[in-house]
Amino acid sequence: MQLQYKSQAVAKPYFIAAIGLFVGQILFGLILGLQYVVGDLLFPAIPFNIARMVHTNLLIVWLLFGFMGAAYYLVPEEAETELHSPLLAHLMFWIFLVAGALTIVGYLMVPYASLADMTGNNILATMGREFLEQPLLTKIGIVVVALAFLYNIGMTILKGRKTALSLILLTGLVGLAVLFLFAFYNPANLVKDKYFWWWVVHLWVEGVWELIMAAILGFVLLKITGVDREVIEKWLYVIITMALVTGIIGTGHHYYWIGAPGYWQWWGGIFSAMEPLPFFAMTVFCFNMVNRRRREHPNKAATLWALGTGVMAFLGAGVWGFLHTLAPVNYYTHGTQITAAHGHLAFFGAYVMVVLTIISYAMPMLRGREANPERAQVLEMWAFWLMTVSMVFITLFLTGAGILQVWLQRVIPDPQEFMVVQDQLALFYWLRWIAGAVFSTGLVVYLYSFFAKDKPQTAEVGAAQPAAS
Amino acid sequence: MPVSPDLPASDAPPPGQGIAIAAESLYLINLLLLPGPAFLALLGLFFRYRRDAPPLARIHLQQTLSASLWAGVLLIVANLLIVVLGGYDSGWTWVVAILYFTTAHTTLVFFGIFGLARAMAGQPYRYPLVGNLWS
Repeated sequence: MQLQYKSQAVAKPYFIAAIGLFVGQILFGLILGLQYVVGDLLFPAIPFNIARMVHTNLLIVWLLFGFMGAAYYLVPEEAETELHSPLLAHLMFWIFLVAGALTIVGYLMVPYASLADMTGNNILATMGREFLEQPLLTKIGIVVVALAFLYNIGMTILKGRKTALSLILLTGLVGLAVLFLFAFYNPANLVKDKYFWWWVVHLWVEGVWELIMAAILGFVLLKITGVDREVIEKWLYVIITMALVTGIIGTGHHYYWIGAPGYWQWWGGIFSAMEPLPFFAMTVFCFNMVNRRRREHPNKAATLWALGTGVMAFLGAGVWGFLHTLAPVNYYTHGTQITAAHGHLAFFGAYVMVVLTIISYAMPMLRGREANPERAQVLEMWAFWLMTVSMVFITLFLTGAGILQVWLQRVIPDPQEFMVVQDQLALFYWLRWIAGAVFSTGLVVYLYSFFAKDKPQTAEVGAAQPAAS
Repeated sequence: MPVSPDLPASDAPPPGQGIAIAAESLYLINLLLLPGPAFLALLGLFFRYRRDAPPLARIHLQQTLSASLWAGVLLIVANLLIVVLGGYDSGWTWVVAILYFTTAHTTLVFFGIFGLARAMAGQPYRYPLVGNLWS
């Protein structure tokens, strides 16, 4: 089976790199999980703060690889034309991969302060903020790659058919690039610093990334269900409207206790309480499309990932987000393991799963077949369940840790110190690590599924053989 | 295995689909936005259509009413648990409340989402456990 457009093949290295970096992220997650309970594990080679930075940065980078791969795969098909410049896409892939790898090596091999000195942080100080720890040179590299990527995708859409799907995707990707520019703005005033830091972090994951997610889900569901494009587009309009209306002003739920004006407690509370709505709609959308499907697609695994994305995104981003989004609740839970629980399930449910959905759908095509062999799909579905269920347990254990942490550290009449409380959460952290180990097992099964082939049918002795034709 | 040819699509909504969607919507509104009034509306819908509604509407009405009643029972059980474990000022209040919200309540919401998706596709849906135990 051939790709509809040859240039879609540039998506393949992006997906492979994404999966490779995903493996790295999980390895560092396992190290981190152990460091919570064995404090000096791998110290001083890999201190906790470095391991955490690598874990979160790898997540962001591999998701970006996944989004780019998704765009390179779906835009030519939607625009009904070849990609504007496959060469540019290949070039940017290598630049992004080398820059990303050098950054991670830098984190691990050089003390962070020295890395800052070596990479021009004294010229424009941008380092040292959570998730945006990348050296200045890496940040500039990200901007260059993003601009080249947007140029490539934009030109492809301009010369071809313009569909709602590709335009929603493009809007999300432009938003992603533009909002990243706030990573270069690092005011000395700590309140302003945090205020604008959220314009990158929050407006990415609770704003423009939701557009990217909706477009990718819409594309996969369009292909596997055969439901009319108009129906899918109407759903997408509703979803992205709700995402932007609630997500943009919902940024206020980060402004409760950082020194921003008090009115944000109302604006943030009201709008972020509505933030589960787009995820709710996305879940109904996924199940509704599959229920109304007009064809049976052989790629069952991709369907499972798509449905799983809807459910887990609602659970992680919607339910666990709502849990601590109101100001009076957040007063107690801010920055505790409740946040970690929400972060893990929301990132996994919304963005990890949507990237794995498009990989599940597109990778067989990129390898020249409609769907993977039966055995490979069964393994992939096992991986789905292992990773998903273990992530739910990771979240539940972190929630348990968070409840106890809030109680001991912030509610009881004689509150205990942070590290004293941490010792008392050890049981939850061990359980979380065990769930993490199961998650890693699921990831190994997932990797293996790419190489699994159907076992050859063995005919019993004496059984009738089909006649040769 | 190749993609199957497109299945024939029917544009006409099956009889009772509107009531089925309304029942599922009211069930979800009761859980998420307006507890109480939405349940009363669902109850009204149930008694208005329980005898003469098409089968699709009837099954959605029965299932949503049964699940709503179970949701009420579970909420009472959660509150009793809080009282038994030391009252509303105890630390256990939060443990029970958060566990209830994230597990039981969310599961009921998911059932509603699946039910709504099925109703919108003109298909019946039987709620696991909370639908079966009532009817």
